[in-house]
This record gives sequence, structure tokens and C-alpha cells, in this order.
Amino acid sequence: MVSPEERTASFEREALPHLDMLYRVARRLTGDLTRAEDLVQDTMLKAFRAWDRFESGTNARGWLLTILRNTFINDYRRARRTPVTVDLELAEPHRIHQTVAESDPEGEFFRRVVDERVVAAIDGLPEEFREVLVLSDVEGLPYAEIAAMLEVPLGTVKSRLFRARRQLQAELYEHAVEAGIVRPKEPIP
Amino acid sequence: MKPDLDCREALDLLQDFLRQELTPEVEATVTRHLAGCRHCFRHGEFERNFFEALERAVGRDRCPDTVRERILAGLRGGPPSA
Repeated sequence: MVSPEERTASFEREALPHLDMLYRVARRLTGDLTRAEDLVQDTMLKAFRAWDRFESGTNARGWLLTILRNTFINDYRRARRTPVTVDLELAEPHRIHQTVAESDPEGEFFRRVVDERVVAAIDGLPEEFREVLVLSDVEGLPYAEIAAMLEVPLGTVKSRLFRARRQLQAELYEHAVEAGIVRPKEPIP
Repeated sequence: MKPDLDCREALDLLQDFLRQELTPEVEATVTRHLAGCRHCFRHGEFERNFFEALERAVGRDRCPDTVRERILAGLRGGPPSA
């Protein structure tokens, strides 16, 4: 039998280091500071109650994220917002780069778009796209791990990522043009 | 050794290349293409700058100390009831 002190200590050692990551994912899933704080706290305390079922030394990050995601779906997700009519079916995959190929081929404008705009663009993505984007491109989880966690095929993860990135690039480019950071290809009439 | 990539193939692999999702063999073909193609190299920088903007904007948030303390208090509040 593990003593309560040992149990707490092992949880603090293996689970707590993932707290910032869980908070960031909660923040993007809920889109709200207070709800993110509550979600991450609920997740950690649920995980602690179930800690005996976690096999020490295995993938704590994936296990915690799964609890976070289930808690979000069951208790936090608001009635689905009206689907945003973002154009996720753009035909040309490299359109934005082609647009700036002459004026800013290395995408320096991405470095000058203010963080608030980037955050708003991410938060404006439909949930299923936002989720994979945050897990992959912000938290660095391998595609295969995301597919396993979401219980979707690897190809689905890749296609959501591809579309989410394309959408974000298009929005950030538009912001950059509005802010005068990058010269539009066609003069604005 | 895998055959050389054309630009279209290289571009389609760029994001996965930067996310380190390619097999070593395929990764080597992209590296080789980028070394010899200025256009695709620049496109790679474009994608890298994009990923860095995401990381910079939302990748550095930390869980507030107040929440951390509430969680720690919950853990130490005695043995779990469930």
C-alpha cells in the first residue's frame, strides 16, 4: 500500500509539471480565463482521485490531457456556437506565401503582428481545428499522439492542422495588411 | 537514398518537416532540396516565422499561482474520498 503522503508526492512529481501546459490548453478550449482556471483545477483534482489507476512512468501528459478534454466536453463546453463560416476549403494550399512571395518571402510580417491578433485568430477557429492546432503547434505533441487522444485517424489530424494553419495564415496576413506591416499585392481600391 | 523532390513536393512537406514529423529518410530529402532551392528555403522561413508567432502569442502562458495553490491545497487536504 502506498501511503497518502507518497501518493501526493508522486502526483506532485509526475503530474504537476504539466500544469502550465494544461492551463494553456484549457485557456484555448474555454476561451475564458475563469473557466480555464476552474477546468484545470477540476482536471487536476480528478486526476489525483484516479491517480492509483495511472501507471507510473507512462505518458502522464497524454493521460492528463484526456481527463482535461473529457471534463471540458462533459462540464464546460457551452452549447456549440453558431459555426463560424470560415473558408476552410481554399483551393490553393500555398496561397498566402504566393501573395507575399515578392514583398516578404520569408514571412517577416508574422514577427510583427501583435500577439493579441494571433490569439484572436486562434480563438476564432472552430473548436475541432483549434484543439489540434494548440496540441500540435503550441504544445508540440506528435500527430500520432493527438490522433490517439482524440480517437480519430492520423489523416484527420493532419487535414485539420493543415486547414487551421492555412486559415490562420490568411487572417494574420489580412491583419498585417490592415496594420500596414506588409504591402498588399493588389492596391486597395 | 530517396529520389530528389521537386518544389511542389518539398513545399507540401515543409510544415511536417518543421514539426519534425517526417521519417529520417524523407526529412533528408527535404533538407537536400532546401539547401539547393532558394525559393523553397524562403518558404520554409515563412512557415517557421508562422509557427514562432503562435508559440510567442500563446505558448508562454503559465498557470496563475493562485490556481496552483488551490490545487496544492486540494491535494494535501487529506486522502481522496473517491
